[in-house]
Amino acid sequence: MAGERRKHIRNFSIIAHIDHGKSTLADRILEFSNTVQQRDMEEQLLDNMDLERERGITIKARAVRISYSAPDGETYELNLIDTPGHVDFNYEVSRSLNACEGALLVVDATQGIQAQTLANAYLAVDAGLEIVPVINKIDLASADPDRVIREIEDVIGIPAEGCPRISAKTGLNIPDVMEAILRDIPAPQGDENAPLRCLIFDSVYNSYLGVVVYVRVKDGTVRAGDRIRLMSTGAEFDVVEVGYMDPFGLKPLDVLSAGDVGYITASIKTVSDTRVGDTITSAANGADTPLPGFKSVLPMVYAGIYPADGARYGETKDALEKLQLNDAALVFEPETSAALGFGFRCGFLGLLHMEIIEERLEREFNLDLITTAPSVIYEVTLHDGTVVRVDNPSNYPAPETIEFAAEPIVAANIITPTEYVGNIMDLCQDRRGTFIDMKYIDDGRAELHYKLPLNEIIYDFFDTMKSRTKGYASLDYELAGYEPSELVKLDFLLNGEIVDALTFIVHKDKAYPRARKIAEKLKDNIPRQLFEIPIQAAIGSKIIARETVKALRKDVLAKCYGGDITRKKKLLEKQKEGKKKMRQLGSVQVSPEAFMAVLRLDDES
Amino acid sequence: MQTMDKKRLGLYLHIPFCRSKCAYCDFFSLVPSNEDLVERYINALILHMHSYRTGAKDYAPDTVFIGGGTPTSIGTDMLLKLIRAVRRNFSVIRGAEWTVEANPATVDVAMLNRLRRAGVNRLSMGLQSANNNELAALSRIHRRQDFEASFRAARRARIGNINVDLMFGIPYQTRQSFLKTLRYVVHLGPEHVSLYDLMLEPGTQLYAQRQTLPFPSEDEEVDMYLTAVDFLAQHGYAQYEISNFARPGYMCRHNLKYWNCEEYLGLGVAAHSFFMGNRFSFIRNLDRYMNGLEIPSSAIRLTDQNDAVSPRERLGEYIMLRFRLAAGLNVREFARLFGVSFEQLYGRKMQPYIQGGYATYKNGVYALTPKGMFVSNYILSDILEFADLGQINMFDGTR
Repeated sequence: MAGERRKHIRNFSIIAHIDHGKSTLADRILEFSNTVQQRDMEEQLLDNMDLERERGITIKARAVRISYSAPDGETYELNLIDTPGHVDFNYEVSRSLNACEGALLVVDATQGIQAQTLANAYLAVDAGLEIVPVINKIDLASADPDRVIREIEDVIGIPAEGCPRISAKTGLNIPDVMEAILRDIPAPQGDENAPLRCLIFDSVYNSYLGVVVYVRVKDGTVRAGDRIRLMSTGAEFDVVEVGYMDPFGLKPLDVLSAGDVGYITASIKTVSDTRVGDTITSAANGADTPLPGFKSVLPMVYAGIYPADGARYGETKDALEKLQLNDAALVFEPETSAALGFGFRCGFLGLLHMEIIEERLEREFNLDLITTAPSVIYEVTLHDGTVVRVDNPSNYPAPETIEFAAEPIVAANIITPTEYVGNIMDLCQDRRGTFIDMKYIDDGRAELHYKLPLNEIIYDFFDTMKSRTKGYASLDYELAGYEPSELVKLDFLLNGEIVDALTFIVHKDKAYPRARKIAEKLKDNIPRQLFEIPIQAAIGSKIIARETVKALRKDVLAKCYGGDITRKKKLLEKQKEGKKKMRQLGSVQVSPEAFMAVLRLDDES
Repeated sequence: MQTMDKKRLGLYLHIPFCRSKCAYCDFFSLVPSNEDLVERYINALILHMHSYRTGAKDYAPDTVFIGGGTPTSIGTDMLLKLIRAVRRNFSVIRGAEWTVEANPATVDVAMLNRLRRAGVNRLSMGLQSANNNELAALSRIHRRQDFEASFRAARRARIGNINVDLMFGIPYQTRQSFLKTLRYVVHLGPEHVSLYDLMLEPGTQLYAQRQTLPFPSEDEEVDMYLTAVDFLAQHGYAQYEISNFARPGYMCRHNLKYWNCEEYLGLGVAAHSFFMGNRFSFIRNLDRYMNGLEIPSSAIRLTDQNDAVSPRERLGEYIMLRFRLAAGLNVREFARLFGVSFEQLYGRKMQPYIQGGYATYKNGVYALTPKGMFVSNYILSDILEFADLGQINMFDGTR
């Protein structure tokens, strides 16, 4: 009976490069299957958070069940598992894919394969999925579906002839997609009589239910009242409810069986108990081995986050804790900066993750923040053999104690129109990259592989790459271990005092230009004060760059015409407001805006 | 009520007309299209005075200041008509200071004689610079020779209290040319000198030329200012306010009311007042202003802004204004007015400025030095609180 039902289940994801139309296609599938009525459609229904909708990216995976009456007269149960589309969230993507049997690979007919198309396609291949190419945006004048199909066959090596050619925007040829899903994606396998094994591919904190765990049941069955165990931690919980998700919420069921995609609630307090990729089994008579592939995701990028108004430290802490309920990848701990006061050192999966967290803190919690320059984790081996992991540049050990230092390296994959290959090579060279190889995807585009230090990528690599290729190049990367590197700690001194929040670690060959650039930016952004302010950049005690903010000598409203006091008062009030926000960095006052302007990483360095 | 028992008041009358608009001017002034417009305005202004007859009946002005614009550009008859109306509507005290602003080349001995006989005893003349190239850059209508003739005419008309307005920061001006202007002025020997830093106001002709004309640098301006303070002091003109210098006994009593938080009533288009506890100004639209007065039923609002000044604001204003004066802020008077201690509120904040030579503290008086005056916005915005004084008990600061 259960096996019979399973034949009518299809579990699949949609994978694509950003903007190639993944969310729009998801909307059309929901609409076409009458899962939602057209009038209920909001653009990108699967993306719940405002931020997701605005940025056009999917931050957290979601899954919906679609009941579809096919032309063959049978009713199918389609589980669409949405995946994040950004390199920062690669691990989450891979777990979502492991919950599926197939994936729709959406490629923009005007742009062809991009770096994330490839990265995601390879993840899907690794997960053993059936890949169904879908050529999107064929309604656009510049669409070239035949070329894109050739690319898919040549570069990814999967057959694409006869694949659906659609316009998700206009709804053209969506039935072809539905047919391909039923025809090409296999029904799930599994044994409902075997011990329970569920793959967690997402979890979301809900203040009424506790953590809602999104799972794919691989073997066995689970129902309310069962006692379950998380295999990586051994923690046990009693299931309160199981069910499936539709676009409007959670729908309880009696049981989830092998092959099903659904949710479990069990009064779990925090998402860090239900890590993505972990396996749920029964507490009694559980499975012996977990599902493969679980790893604990580790932050790659760290930055200090401080409330602009020091009095709001407590609120900032509460806000971070609330975000963490839903984001097991966010880590933070309190830290103190002489310059910025009390704040938090936060770890992120990558720069986008960091930006999203900052934006949510500011938007959802109404906080004004000062964020220090992002840093990677350095591994420093001291003379006595101890290894120190440094996530805050100002804690970098003194040079005379260091045996050697290592920095994280990534394997980067860049796809670019061939005319910009030279620019990309220059850029990677300049960012201390090591060339691995280059392949031509077609006449017009090449794929380059480089090894690059992560700290170069988080500086301003992505923006520079975009500006040097008129926006056409795309980038994907994954961590590829640590390598020894000649690193130095660069300090900045205002009026002779080190400003800890400005300290960063840099390769010794980059220290001079970087120091000069930041010193200049500081000069332009520090308001003049009654005394001259020397700005110095130093490696240890050696000054390598210097600027001066001249003393302010004139700041007066001389005329007070006809007794117009009000104008003068308003001017002073405005000036006063500006001063209130100032941060005291040693003896120098700097506005948070100026501080951020210095850290803003722009153009060419 | 006898005049002597009435409260003192500064009366200001605004004449918004000029012969031509100067390149730096952002005051409310215009070149009148015809004589009728001038007469219509003066009549409206007289109606305006009349409307305050009752409201100001407990006041006796001890200063009257006719400013502009260029009041002398409207001619002697119009000015005399205005002065007569002042006397009809207000009980101006005997010995009051009567100032008229004048521009060179708009006055002659006959006019000044008639004004003096009508009671005008102080003339304020705009020279700005004694260098004709600099005057041209400001697009002033006069040359140094015109000024000199007007100045001598005033002396011949036996006007014994003359102010000369000067400017620094003018295009082409150098330390040398500025010193020449100063020497020229002390040689003529007015009783009072005002020295303004040229401000580039958005919307003016000079503002548009700010990139192309050679303006003195900030360091040069500071140098000019500090030089002028010393030079004028050496020649008998003591600085008593950021921009004002006078021989003993010739400080401008009207302008002092602004700095001393005393009451003044400014009538006319765009004029400002601090009267009966409120700061307000009249509308900046000439037509609406005249219509509103000519047709009382028109219900045109004549005031632009009208703010009751809270005690806390008054305290902020008091500090802001007292620090413009060389005489500074007396902590005993402060305590008497506001019921709180200046030292307790601000003493700590003043310390670094005293140490840096920007301020002094002597015998219970805090004052800014000339160097401090030139960065007074910086200092005031650092120490001042207009509203956010926390929970302190204080008096309302009225006398």
